[in-house]
Amino acid sequence: MMKNLIVFFFFAFLVTFSFEMKGQTYNTDKGRAEFLSKAALNEFTGVSDDLNGLLDFEKNSFDFFIDLNTLKTGIGLRDRHMRENYLETKKYPFAEFTGKINEQVKLEKGQSKLLNATGTFKIHGKEKNMVVPGKITWISDSEIQLEATFKILLSDYNIAIPSVIFYELSEEQTISIKANLKKKTVNTK
Amino acid sequence: MKIKILILALFLSHPSMAQLERKLADGSQKEELIFHAPRHINLLTVEPLDKKALHFAIMHTFGTIDGGLQDLYGLDNGANIQFSFEYGFSEKFSLGAARASTDKVYNLYGRYHFFSQTQDNKTPFSLSMMGGAAVNTSNYSFLNEDAPDLMDRTSYAAQLMLARKFSEKISVQLSPMMAYFNDPRALYQIEGDQNLYLALGFSGKYKMTGKSSLTLQWIPNLNNDLRNNLGVGIDLEAGGHVFQMYFVTSQALNEQYLLAGGNGVAGEKFRLGFNVNRIFATGKKKRAD
Repeated sequence: MMKNLIVFFFFAFLVTFSFEMKGQTYNTDKGRAEFLSKAALNEFTGVSDDLNGLLDFEKNSFDFFIDLNTLKTGIGLRDRHMRENYLETKKYPFAEFTGKINEQVKLEKGQSKLLNATGTFKIHGKEKNMVVPGKITWISDSEIQLEATFKILLSDYNIAIPSVIFYELSEEQTISIKANLKKKTVNTK
Repeated sequence: MKIKILILALFLSHPSMAQLERKLADGSQKEELIFHAPRHINLLTVEPLDKKALHFAIMHTFGTIDGGLQDLYGLDNGANIQFSFEYGFSEKFSLGAARASTDKVYNLYGRYHFFSQTQDNKTPFSLSMMGGAAVNTSNYSFLNEDAPDLMDRTSYAAQLMLARKFSEKISVQLSPMMAYFNDPRALYQIEGDQNLYLALGFSGKYKMTGKSSLTLQWIPNLNNDLRNNLGVGIDLEAGGHVFQMYFVTSQALNEQYLLAGGNGVAGEKFRLGFNVNRIFATGKKKRAD
């Protein structure tokens, strides 16, 4: 009797679990993330197409992360210096943004919607809460596009800019992401 | 009771917020910046160039410092200057051309990187090699028919580079080296009189801060009685440049003359040296979209 009950609850758990995710969760591992550094003497961008993201409209939660080693600025040596001296990717390989979408999202065919997300942005081992405005766009029944732009200050994350390159690296970095997320039908977690 | 606990446990294990597993895009990443630049004091390193990157180095050594302030610690005397340009044809292969003022030597060299140390230690060290040929273009016409011809003026160098970043702070490179002079005349600004010179170079880096390191170079000779080369210095990264300042026992700036050129006694016969390294990305990709 007890055994049956356990088995029953176990399956009930599995069923409810996969059911609630089904159709509500979108993910990607090929989103684009970009940063723009606009200093007095030098302006450059770094790009990665390895943004991983998960949007869960059931729980209104999201989780994004990127392996910072995949950021490329177009100059190999600058990338290496960025990884070793500024982002310290060996210790802190990821930038992460995790949190909740502030409003209930219902997306109709062909529509775009603006929304706000509140979450924790984490890079270089430091965290900060922020609200980020974003836009989601219907692409197909199984695909949505997410775009968002926000600014961070390097000093908030303990990333020091030495005075000798003050004119080349901006304290304020503009981060934009653009990702096409596909509906996830199989629950992997 | 038991069941209740079990049910509770099941609900608790229900994740309240979906999270992705944090995974590196590349599980076996290369160890980077084993040294600050493709040059380290006077020796080439395993530090590769990107494809289409151009490395420009201007290197100087001056007179011996024992003249003191009167000679501004050697800066007044006989500077040797070498310019070098090295271009990356691929991530693994680069070709360089250099010109040193000592004996007006033009040097052509190539570097090839066999493999690189990885962060997961599956490849524990980096291995590269260098090969070069140089021509002494000094004017020896006063010697009339005894003047050296092109072959007599030619010398060669080869070097293997084995390097490992032992920690965030310490990197070491071991460089078995050889130099060969077709005709090692006393006329040339070298101390050796044999054709072949063998040596073992040690290059060390001790990182002090993110952008500066103490540097060491020691090149014991293996088949002759010439003094060994010793250099100590500091590397500074600043906005795309790597500045290298050092004290060294030899005025030579290319491999052939480093091995055959002779060295002063470390200490009072040290010379000041100064390199500026800059890497230009000539093939900077236009961004898609």
